[in-house]
Amino acid sequence: MRILLVEDDVEVARFVRKGLQEAGHTVEHAPNGRDGLFLAASEQFDMMVLDRMLPGGVDGVRLVETLRTQGNKTPVLFLSALSAVDERVKGLKAGGDDYLVKPFAFAELLARVEALGRRPASDAPATKLRVADLELDLLSRTVTRAGKRIDVQPREFRLLEHLMRHAGQVVTRTMLLEKVWDYHFDPQTNVIDVHVSRLRQKLDRGFDRPLIHTVRNAGYLIRAEP
Amino acid sequence: MRHDRVGARALPREVPARHAEALATAPPLGLLRSAGARFALIFAGTFVTAAIAFTAVLWWGTAGALDRQTDAAVRADALALSERWRDGGVSAVVEGIEDRLAADIENHAIYMLQAPDGRRVAGNLNQWPVAADAPGAWAYTTVQREGQPAEARLHDIVLEGGFRLLIGRDIDEKTRLRQLLGEGVAWSFGAAITFAIIGAWLMRGMLASRLRPAFATAASIAGGDLSHRVPLTGRHDEFDLLAATMNTMLDRIDRLMSGVRGVSDAIAHDLRTPIARARAKLEDALATAPDEAALKLAVEQGIADLDAISRVFQALLRIAEAEAGARRRAFAPFDLAPVLADAADIYGAAAEARGQVLDTRIPERLEIVGDRDLLLQAVANLLDNAVKFAPPDGHVLLAATLRPDGGAEVVVEDDGPGLAPADRARAGERFFRADAARTTPGSGLGLSLVQAVAHLHGGSLALGDAKPGRESPGLRVTLGLGPA
Amino acid sequence: MAVALGVVLRAGPPGLSAEPQNVRVTTDSAEYCGSLAQRVAALPGGTVEPARSLAADGLRLCDNGHVRTGVAKLRRALRAAQGLETPG
Repeated sequence: MRILLVEDDVEVARFVRKGLQEAGHTVEHAPNGRDGLFLAASEQFDMMVLDRMLPGGVDGVRLVETLRTQGNKTPVLFLSALSAVDERVKGLKAGGDDYLVKPFAFAELLARVEALGRRPASDAPATKLRVADLELDLLSRTVTRAGKRIDVQPREFRLLEHLMRHAGQVVTRTMLLEKVWDYHFDPQTNVIDVHVSRLRQKLDRGFDRPLIHTVRNAGYLIRAEP
Repeated sequence: MRHDRVGARALPREVPARHAEALATAPPLGLLRSAGARFALIFAGTFVTAAIAFTAVLWWGTAGALDRQTDAAVRADALALSERWRDGGVSAVVEGIEDRLAADIENHAIYMLQAPDGRRVAGNLNQWPVAADAPGAWAYTTVQREGQPAEARLHDIVLEGGFRLLIGRDIDEKTRLRQLLGEGVAWSFGAAITFAIIGAWLMRGMLASRLRPAFATAASIAGGDLSHRVPLTGRHDEFDLLAATMNTMLDRIDRLMSGVRGVSDAIAHDLRTPIARARAKLEDALATAPDEAALKLAVEQGIADLDAISRVFQALLRIAEAEAGARRRAFAPFDLAPVLADAADIYGAAAEARGQVLDTRIPERLEIVGDRDLLLQAVANLLDNAVKFAPPDGHVLLAATLRPDGGAEVVVEDDGPGLAPADRARAGERFFRADAARTTPGSGLGLSLVQAVAHLHGGSLALGDAKPGRESPGLRVTLGLGPA
Repeated sequence: MAVALGVVLRAGPPGLSAEPQNVRVTTDSAEYCGSLAQRVAALPGGTVEPARSLAADGLRLCDNGHVRTGVAKLRRALRAAQGLETPG
């Protein structure tokens, strides 16, 4: 992916840029809002990572607002030291697609960037999701593996649905909490792990090939190959 | 600047100090900028306007009435004599004038009848006055009476045949009466203005003296001394109301300030420890790690330590936000029941993994007004605690009820060791951890946040035994939420 | 403001003008006293009280120079003589 990074902190910018490049992305960096706006308006990007507060008169929110009024629909991820909920709401209202509070783990950033950048091209709703021999039917809300039906609770179904929609991508615990449960809070302990491992047990019982993988220091990932 | 009084407190103080200067010099404001002076001016202006209106009415009703009376008499006389002229000609009018003059006991009648050739035919003026020398004219003029000037009101009418008739009244006495009246009015007007000025001055003084304590208090608060309060007069008037409101505000500021001080103390104390630990570990690894794998492990551990520290920061910020009441902006009506069900769902799995049972008693609907994320965080903290402290085969209960007053009550119970009564009072303090809990992981901020959330929602946090009398009484935490 | 108002109040009736030549009231004179006295005497009630003594008082006042008072007395005498004024 071609990613525009607008971040004024040199150290954070270097770290993010290096990490994204190592993950196989092309990164353009702008140190302030004005340059960022210029780049965003003149070149084509798959994804933008913006600091919420930027020097030079144009901050992240203004930048996105300007782009959106010009019809630019490039996905935007906000980075911000402002953690208050209404700040998040402000950022998302301005046209941001996701919001990540500093300090953050790079794995979290990468997971969110890839989730945003590789969103399905068409919004046409799929009725079935498939990973290897695992199949999830969105209409009948059933899960089968190798033709064998697996009973899951509604919450586990949504958890699996989210993992399968991002098959091959890392999904972090916070992302699961935000997207599956729709809450922004700190669960203190890794309660999500319990839910995932319960789901994993149901899916993998009787099969020798696990589908849900744990990515150390990051989150979970569903894919066919180990 | 008042740095001597500001001292070493940890808050930015430059700007308030400047305000303090402004407040301290506030009483001798420019006269026009002083609200007291403006009120006084408005008062005096109203008073004087009323006096002018009163005087005008009085004048119109007295002096004006005198003038109108004279004119009416002259006009009536003119009508009567004109009629006589039409009926009886010159002789009738002459006779009428003679009779009128003879009967004029008040001695104020003036008449003159003039023939077309300018000859005086009748009346009591020796010649035609210049002031009334126009047909139909009304005039004021001076005539001589025994050598003394006297004021007269004259009316000139033309009769058929070229005769002219002058009818008048000596108004000298009326003019003197008018003058007396004028003097009286002028004096009373002067008195009214004097009273207006005195009243305005008193009012301004009163306003200033009632406001001075508030000034003084605000100035010393701005100067950094938060212990001052505005004294109440006990009159329960608007000024007392203002003072009481100010005092309530100051109490709140005081509480927030001590909260901030408490947090900075706690941060200094409790965050330095993990930071120092992380730093020591990294430094030690740098110096003594035998191979790259060990170094990597130490760095990973360092990152985990930093993450824990930043989570504590996040928790502290949330508490501060809740305590400052800033999040009340995010308040919205919502149904708490599904939120509680979600919390039970999220932590139920964790409890199950530990062999515990999480029971719920949640009503179908629980409509409240509040901050959904914060309430979930509070309940999550309570459930996290309960799961942590309940024994491996224990029970955790999450229950909620709607109170008759429209508020709600959320109860979380566990059958763990409970909390000693002495510790309960301190449980809401930041970073407080009972001795028995030192070995379990946790920041000591969980209940602080719950308490702050309860206060934010106009409620309270209460701790008690879940099963009193047992060896391990368990803990029952009641989170009360005030009505919207 | 008070001063201005005072001036207005003291100014007297508007349009007051002094006569360039003496305009005199001719009824403030001894002659008029005489003519009034004649009118009283010509009336039938002029010889009875109180008209008679009022007229006499009036004439005496006129003679002593108090013309206006005398004229006033004589006018009352006339009115009394005409029976319009009650005695007293």
